[in-house]
Amino acid sequence: MKELSHKLSLLWLNYKKNKSIYWMALPVVLYFLVFKYLPMYGAIIAFKDYSVGKGIWGSDWVGLQHFRDFFQSYYFWRILKNTLLLSFYQLLFGFPAPILLALLLNELRHEIFKRTVQTISYIPHFISIVVICGMIVDFSSRDGLFNTIIGYFGGQSSALLSDPANFRTIYTASSIWQELGFSSIIYLAALSGINPELYDAANVDGASRLRQVWHITLPGIIPMIMILLILRIGGLMEIGFEKIILLYNPNVYDTADVISTFVYRKGISESAEFSYTTAVGLFQSVINFALLIGANRLSKVISNTKLF
Amino acid sequence: MDISARMEDSHYIGQAVPLWGAMTGLLIHDTHSMGGREVMKRSWRKRLTIGICLMMSIAALGGCSGDNGSSGEAGGDGPTPISIWMSMNTNASITLKSMNEITAIKEWEKKTNTKIEFQHPAVGAETEQFNVMINSNQLPDAMFVNGDYAKLFNDGIIIRLNELIDEYAPNLKKILEENPEVAKQLKADNGDIYAIPHLRLGEYKTFGGTFIRQDWLDELKLEKPETIEEWETVLKAFKEKKGVAAPLLFGAPPKMTTMGPAAPTYLEAYGITNNTFMKDGKVVYGPIEPEYKEFLTMFHRWYQEGLIDPDFATNDQKTYDAKILSSQAGAFFTFIGGGVGRYLPALQETDPNANLTATQYPVLNKGDEPMFTGRSWEWSSSGVVLTNSNKHPEETVKALDYFFSEEGHMLKNFGVEGLTYTMKDGYPTYTDEILKNPDGLSVAQAMAKHFIANYPFVGEDDDRYNEQYYQLQQQKDAAVLFSKYSENTLKVGLPPTSLTTEESTEDSKIMSDIGTYRDEMFVKFVIGVEPIENFDKFVDQINKFNVKRAIEIQQAALDRYNAR
Repeated sequence: MKELSHKLSLLWLNYKKNKSIYWMALPVVLYFLVFKYLPMYGAIIAFKDYSVGKGIWGSDWVGLQHFRDFFQSYYFWRILKNTLLLSFYQLLFGFPAPILLALLLNELRHEIFKRTVQTISYIPHFISIVVICGMIVDFSSRDGLFNTIIGYFGGQSSALLSDPANFRTIYTASSIWQELGFSSIIYLAALSGINPELYDAANVDGASRLRQVWHITLPGIIPMIMILLILRIGGLMEIGFEKIILLYNPNVYDTADVISTFVYRKGISESAEFSYTTAVGLFQSVINFALLIGANRLSKVISNTKLF
Repeated sequence: MDISARMEDSHYIGQAVPLWGAMTGLLIHDTHSMGGREVMKRSWRKRLTIGICLMMSIAALGGCSGDNGSSGEAGGDGPTPISIWMSMNTNASITLKSMNEITAIKEWEKKTNTKIEFQHPAVGAETEQFNVMINSNQLPDAMFVNGDYAKLFNDGIIIRLNELIDEYAPNLKKILEENPEVAKQLKADNGDIYAIPHLRLGEYKTFGGTFIRQDWLDELKLEKPETIEEWETVLKAFKEKKGVAAPLLFGAPPKMTTMGPAAPTYLEAYGITNNTFMKDGKVVYGPIEPEYKEFLTMFHRWYQEGLIDPDFATNDQKTYDAKILSSQAGAFFTFIGGGVGRYLPALQETDPNANLTATQYPVLNKGDEPMFTGRSWEWSSSGVVLTNSNKHPEETVKALDYFFSEEGHMLKNFGVEGLTYTMKDGYPTYTDEILKNPDGLSVAQAMAKHFIANYPFVGEDDDRYNEQYYQLQQQKDAAVLFSKYSENTLKVGLPPTSLTTEESTEDSKIMSDIGTYRDEMFVKFVIGVEPIENFDKFVDQINKFNVKRAIEIQQAALDRYNAR
């Protein structure tokens, strides 16, 4: 008790000293409380047979029934596989791409050319996802841009987005195209922090440009890469849900349907199975959580970089 | 559910979270009144409260208990405020922002001393917004719905109307007493009534079907097809001699199954439907019947030969319309009123010879009578319900009952005498405002601007409206043709049964999985990704989803319905 009051008074002192910082933090704290922690209360319905009339507390408990239903569901493996595969492709191709771009940009000496390339590469990031998807849908339609190009090279035109085989490619490629430039900024910032003397020293030792990249540039941004990688892995299953909703159609559910779109359809757009979909969503969060912790551990072991 | 209800009612739900409206309203108000410091302070506090309210309500899906402007207390003798949640009909949305602007609605308010406030969901997000609204307890006073009334009642969202109707809806009560068949449809198994209904007691109960290019038939000297075989011949001729990209167009305008509305009519020629139906009084699920395999085999062949639109699974309304209007489609499903009334004049603008004609619902053998005709029941499960947050149930029921009175009936179907119709020898005849609208609106659009006849609301459809709604000879012929065998459908279609909450939860869980699976597999079988030999596996999988249990549930509900 005494200890607590002591701590509180310390906190008060600290507050008095750094008043403005505390106030500046307030919106962020509020944001997380209201939008991230408060809604967790609703997660209770994953273990209940939620009925609107009875309310969240009044509904009957059903234990893990909804989770069991989900694991036994015909669609379980398919949406799990799609979620993981889409995320994995995003990680595999999407993660190294901005690093590569940053390294290439870093080697450019012509300032104006460099700036132009950079600007053009991050414009797509600022276009709304709805517009982007509208463009993709239009381009890939039977008489769209892509088919015109395919036709030019003698290919057969087809509605690209109605073939399950194409979905992952279109999804991943367009994501890379959209985010490539903007994601590279953070690496460029990290690159600018590398001590130029290191390059001078390497030059004296006769290291080639490639050698310099390998031994100086890359090691210089490894901590940044690791931290971003951990963050990415934490959100591995949180695949870009709006984008899939905007792009997919029943034809390509085979490769496009992921956990969050499944939750959306079963939860509010087709049927209203709130409890069931909450359970499914919770399952996704648990996996994410485990992945995040795992990645953090792994990173600590491998490169001594960690997020928390 | 019948096709017409599926399509015409497909826009039946939702309003943007009412708080948004309240908030923007208040903020605009605030900027106007900003003057002194005091006002400013107050307005800031107000904004903050509303802001927090909004955040909480979104976060916790509920929470904010502030009055959202839907149901204030009736002040003294002023009109009773009633909010009604209803999706906006597309014909109406062309000229109006809200249904409050409809001439008949304004008149209705005056007659019943009410102040109606319509709340409309965003187009395309009706179901989502309905589900969110229901679960956030931001309920309006009344809602127009088409669906599972028993579940809404058991969840405590809507109220039972029997007593209210007895006391405050004499006109509706009279109709129900005079038409026991209709009362049987409307009343749940236990005798409860949950909705003030939209009824179709007249002749016309089939509103859509497949139309074909008559001018091409003439040119190629072909008969109008009736059997599947004849259809194949005609479609082939269209393909080969007219070079049409999509001889048979069907597809998925918003929120419809992948099969779209046209494909089922060809399936139904085989004596089954895409869903549950009645076979000798027993409930049967179509896709697991052997006839479904025959249908798939035929449709796959048609796909391979290029007789059906290859983009059928990705069509939306825009591409659907484009294909029809650019003469890339030889035959397609559409509605007599809104569809033909729009397509035919547009087609004839570019090609004066263009002509459409209705085809009878297809059959297998020459001389067979079609069984499934998309006929609706007298009550097709749509109507207005009262929510539990309605503070003026008596007034609401009274106001809605007005549409069943002689006066209200005329107002709903014909609008205001002198403006939209005149009496000629006792026959309400539409004026030029409707039939030759000076602003260039189509009949459907002009009607939707002035009254609510060409889409479901509350009240009873008048045949005399349909007779005039169908202005073109092609439309009139279609109405006769489609109605010819519509009585047959009563023998095979499921009546509006009702399920208990447990049944409904179980049924929807099973059927929603099956529905997704069926639609996906339909596409795969037709395209040929899945060989037709795997049909048995498809049936096995549906059995594994426990279709048997769903059929049992439906059968039990049907038995209860028959015992009503």
